[in-house]
Amino acid sequence: MVDEGTRQTLSKIPLLKTKAGPREKELWVQRLKEEYQSLIKYVQNNKEADNDWFRLESNKEGTKWFGKCWYIHDLLKYEFDVEFDIPVTYPTTAPEIALPELDGKTAKMYRGGKICLSDHFKPLWARNVPKFGISHAMALGLGPWLAVEIPDLISKGVISYKEKTG
Amino acid sequence: MADWEEVKRLAADFQKVQLSSTTQKLSERNCIEIVSWLIDRNMVELIFTSDGKEYLTPSQLVNEIKGELYDQGGRINLVELAKNIGVDLAHINTHLNEVLKGQKDIQHVLGQLIDNSYISRITSEINEKLQQQGQISIGDLTIQYDLPAEFLQQIVDKNIGKTIFGKQDKNDSRVYYTESFIARTKSKIRGALAGLTRPTTVASILNQVDVNEKMFFSLFDQTCMYGTLTSRLPGAQYVPNVYARSQNEWVSSFYKQNGYLEFDALNRLGITDYKQYIKKQLVNEEIYYLNSCIISKSIVERVQADVDECIASKSYSDLQSNLPSVFNEKDIEIILTAALTNQQRQQVLVIDSYVISKAFVEKLADICDELVKENAKAAVESGKYQEYQISLQSSHLKSQKSEEAEEKLDKREERRKKAASGKSGGGAQGRETKTKSTKKFGRGGSKNVTEADDDGDLPGKKTILEIVSADEVREAILPLLEEEALSDVLEPLTAQLLPKLNEKGLETAQNIYVVTVADRTANRRQTHNELQNKLNALIGDVRLFEKGTKLLPQDVQPHLVKYLLKSLCTDIVNEILNYVAAEQNLNTKAETLNNEQKLKFVNELPSDFKTPLLQLVKSVSGQNIEEFMTAVEEALAPCSMILKKIDKKKDRAIVLNHKHQLLEQLNKCEDVALALHLATLAIFTTATQCMLHASGRHVSAILAFLKQYLTEEQATELTSYHDFVTLMLSGGSEVENAKEKLKEKLALIKRIANDFKRAGSEK
Repeated sequence: MVDEGTRQTLSKIPLLKTKAGPREKELWVQRLKEEYQSLIKYVQNNKEADNDWFRLESNKEGTKWFGKCWYIHDLLKYEFDVEFDIPVTYPTTAPEIALPELDGKTAKMYRGGKICLSDHFKPLWARNVPKFGISHAMALGLGPWLAVEIPDLISKGVISYKEKTG
Repeated sequence: MADWEEVKRLAADFQKVQLSSTTQKLSERNCIEIVSWLIDRNMVELIFTSDGKEYLTPSQLVNEIKGELYDQGGRINLVELAKNIGVDLAHINTHLNEVLKGQKDIQHVLGQLIDNSYISRITSEINEKLQQQGQISIGDLTIQYDLPAEFLQQIVDKNIGKTIFGKQDKNDSRVYYTESFIARTKSKIRGALAGLTRPTTVASILNQVDVNEKMFFSLFDQTCMYGTLTSRLPGAQYVPNVYARSQNEWVSSFYKQNGYLEFDALNRLGITDYKQYIKKQLVNEEIYYLNSCIISKSIVERVQADVDECIASKSYSDLQSNLPSVFNEKDIEIILTAALTNQQRQQVLVIDSYVISKAFVEKLADICDELVKENAKAAVESGKYQEYQISLQSSHLKSQKSEEAEEKLDKREERRKKAASGKSGGGAQGRETKTKSTKKFGRGGSKNVTEADDDGDLPGKKTILEIVSADEVREAILPLLEEEALSDVLEPLTAQLLPKLNEKGLETAQNIYVVTVADRTANRRQTHNELQNKLNALIGDVRLFEKGTKLLPQDVQPHLVKYLLKSLCTDIVNEILNYVAAEQNLNTKAETLNNEQKLKFVNELPSDFKTPLLQLVKSVSGQNIEEFMTAVEEALAPCSMILKKIDKKKDRAIVLNHKHQLLEQLNKCEDVALALHLATLAIFTTATQCMLHASGRHVSAILAFLKQYLTEEQATELTSYHDFVTLMLSGGSEVENAKEKLKEKLALIKRIANDFKRAGSEK
């Protein structure tokens, strides 16, 4: 299961109500609104907790999402690009979050840089359709993945600190 | 497309939110790190709470402690304090001094903080309690407030007279009273003491009035003029003056009235140290101390007078009944030792509480005189006295020989004595022990008894023949004693009299014995003569019978000889043995002995008797008359008897006499068998001019012998008669018939015998 911190974070993220994929015009708008509201709340929470760790934006339809995420290790900030598409079967299927930079650098990744989520993620998601949204996917999927994989990759020397560019 | 507008707006909002600066907030982790870093550097002084989540500055802690103290009403336990504030007890302890430093009104007592407000509160509480109860002790307070005694003492001392209105006990600084309480207690005690008329233990007084002991003793002196205390201890007694006074009055009046005073009575009155008391009370009196009481001189004088009178009247006096009944035996004894003069003592006998004049005892002895005489006579006649004399002598001999034998005898004697005393029965035992107890005190009067007792135990004198037994004496004197109501002292008196009487009895017996011995010698001479004549006659008979026997055929002779030896000769031997036994002072009856016993008896005789008598006894069981005759002769020699010579004329007379006797018997005889026997013997005597000693068994043999002297007719008659007799005796079927026949022929037989006499004489 997820750790105590994650659970607490999760509980603070508002749940969604509308079950709709990008193909359903009217309802998707509704869903997208809820997604945004949820994300806003999540980011606000993170900021308040001094725990801001990603930037996201989407295309106009809200089907493609991209941005950055970062992880602080030994007082150094490692930053990665993040992107994912909303599947057609969303929200039944969870979005597949990808870190293209790290493609091929770790075993916990599918081709194209899609991260391998924990065993618990899928059933948890399936149980919570349609209440879970993008913010949940980030908190439950990417967050824990980064916390586990990045220190490992750094220690292996697969990734190294780059002077902040942006 | 308002929705999409909205989405756009939301996306913009989202971006705005993401771009807004992050609040610079330190996470908890960082804070802890920073603070611990600061503490490490000693840059800040902080105290951790016990859950580790909060910090306190020391001054905050001090403040908190004060606050808590106030909250808890001025008194708080340090442990509780630590719990309430939520810091470790150690921190409290280290910062306690800071709390106490500036504040004089806060004190640290036994792990507790106490401030002045609390103290003032408890002082007022204590005061309230004191006013309520009248009395309060620090001990109670320590229990109530759970504070150390010294602390409380300090508080109370400080506040006494200010907020606590009372008085400290002078004897016990830990106890405080109010004046009113003391006054109340005092009047309680006074009331109780005034009400008492008899000695009472302090404990019971205290129980009654509900005052504690210390209080009582401290207040006693101030309150009470009615009596005294025996001591200051809890077990003390209070003796009211009124009681002491009445006690004294009672004692002196009792003494004046009665002339004595019992220790028991004093004890009952509660005077335990009576000797001291008597000394104090009866200062000017002349008193005698007894075992259980004291007596005045007047009583002693009375006793003296009694004794005098008793001597004068030659009777007795019972002090027990003359003196007050409270005196026990020991007392009387003491009185008597005090009262009796030496002269008096010689004239009286003291038994228990009886004073008996010697004259009275004499009178009793006189009564027994007759009895003594009779018994002495009986003793001499029965030979007991002689035995006693002999045993006395032999014991003297034995005592020289060996000590052991003496002891044995001694023991036997004791046993005998015991048995004798046992006769007197259980009831007498008590009395006897009493006399023994008097023996212990060596009272003058009982000395004789004691000596008499001892006599029995002294060696050499042990075999005292008892002429009169205690029972007899008792019986003899009892009537008189009962008349005088003196039966109580029967036993001791008997014991007193017995030795004397016995002594007297022995003397009498001695006299009688001397007289009888003289008589006896004369007697014996006479009997000796008689016996000699008798033996001579018997021996003559034997000789004649033997002669008759010789006439019979050889084969019959031994039977007849044997019969003769068995009958007549044995009689002779018995006579001789009896005589010898008498000579030797042995009590043996030869008739009762069988042959072997006789031999044994003879063997025990002195040697000059032994050999001839042995011979004689043996010859009786032999077969020969001659042998017997010689043995008799020899045996008679040591008996100083002589056999007379054979006188033929006399023999003839004897034979004739014998025949006449036989015929006489025959004529009187009604028994058919005996008649034949007698007739046969008579015919034999007539025919042969010899006597025959034969039993019925020999009749047929004799008849066969007699045939030559008889006519045929006579012979057949006798034979047929004899046949019927045998038939009758054989007990066959024809007994009755035979009897008839015999009766018919009886007269005939008698006639034949008588007639034969004539025929014989014709020849």
